[in-house]
Amino acid sequence: MKGGAKVIIEAHRHEGVFIARSKEDALVTLNSTPGKDVYGEKRIQVEGPPGPEGVATKLEYRVWNPFRSKLAAAILGGVDHIWMKPGSKVLYLGAASGTTVSHVSDIVGPAGCVYAVEFSHRPGRDLINMAKLRTNVIPIVEDARHPLKYRMLVGMVDTIFADVAQPDQARIVSLNSHYFLKNGGHVVISIKASCIDSTAAPEAVFQKEVKKLQEEKFKPLEQLTLEPYERDHAVVVATYRPAPKTKK
Amino acid sequence: MTSYVLYESASGYALFELIQHDDIASLTDEVQASVQDVQRFGRTVKLKAFQPFTSAENALENINAVSEHILSDDLKHFLELNLPKVKKAGKGTTLGVIEPALGTVIQETLSFPCKSDESTREVLRGVRLHFHKYVKELDGGLLERSQLGLGHSYSRAKVKFNPGRSDNMII
Repeated sequence: MKGGAKVIIEAHRHEGVFIARSKEDALVTLNSTPGKDVYGEKRIQVEGPPGPEGVATKLEYRVWNPFRSKLAAAILGGVDHIWMKPGSKVLYLGAASGTTVSHVSDIVGPAGCVYAVEFSHRPGRDLINMAKLRTNVIPIVEDARHPLKYRMLVGMVDTIFADVAQPDQARIVSLNSHYFLKNGGHVVISIKASCIDSTAAPEAVFQKEVKKLQEEKFKPLEQLTLEPYERDHAVVVATYRPAPKTKK
Repeated sequence: MTSYVLYESASGYALFELIQHDDIASLTDEVQASVQDVQRFGRTVKLKAFQPFTSAENALENINAVSEHILSDDLKHFLELNLPKVKKAGKGTTLGVIEPALGTVIQETLSFPCKSDESTREVLRGVRLHFHKYVKELDGGLLERSQLGLGHSYSRAKVKFNPGRSDNMII
């Protein structure tokens, strides 16, 4: 996206997320490390509000590709709430090389932090390198099935995002929630139907996963498919141990 | 009857003393609400001792031991120093440990009765939530900074010491 002056940045409904409007619109986040991209994504420079001396500051945004990130796909798909905003603490399970993690790190900003868990070593290496420059990302190369192994590294979090693509995903998420997710905190889970049961219909798989969550003190809030960005994927948002309704 | 819980943080080990903690009720709404409130939680769960790690290497040694359920020398000394003698402690005194395997090792080595049940987990959820309030030195982002440093060294060591030099596939 060229011709910086023609691009207009608008705040998205989700705090910390922005839309870059020019010939084509794009989902973007404010780059916390201006001048550096993480995975070859495009960067957009715009004039920010004038600083104290009246000199316009430069702001840099990074384009967030919904075909590469399920969270971006969910946002463009119109998810009601991503439960991540500046200052949030997020436990990210299945961080891979940290491409989506870098955008979450932009969203939560310097006051928040992202605990990024990835088990495979090769993407883990990229994740560590990305986290070197972004100090609100805490890289954890460990198996998300054994949250007690990394219990010393993680504090209580507001939100758990999971994209682990494992058949026992619901169990992994609830295990981690029991140790690290605040009461009334939220989980945002990306479910790939074929990873859980490739023989059943995707709809049935999603329904079963939601049921598993309900059994673990989760209250489902919404579910949406990631069409047209991903096939047979769904994102499920749920509250963990919601506060009891006060009697009037 | 008193009981204790052990909390392992990125900055060091902490021992908490439980006063009037009700085991059975830990999941009822009222108790859950009191866990959320730092004032009320602080009345029933008191910080007995906190021992910070001496250096980054020291912290890394300890997290490696803790994640493999090994009782490190630091943790052993810390518990010996701060737990009451078993005879004096009286019947029913227990140490709550989040990881059952580590609890077994502690019980075998120090012969101090350990448990790791649901109520221990609930207490430790509260401790994790309010930990920076207990140890004043860690407030204001310092705890996160030690998590960051330790996360990097722990993860780097994992990636470096992979003998197979290939990905560990999950089956």
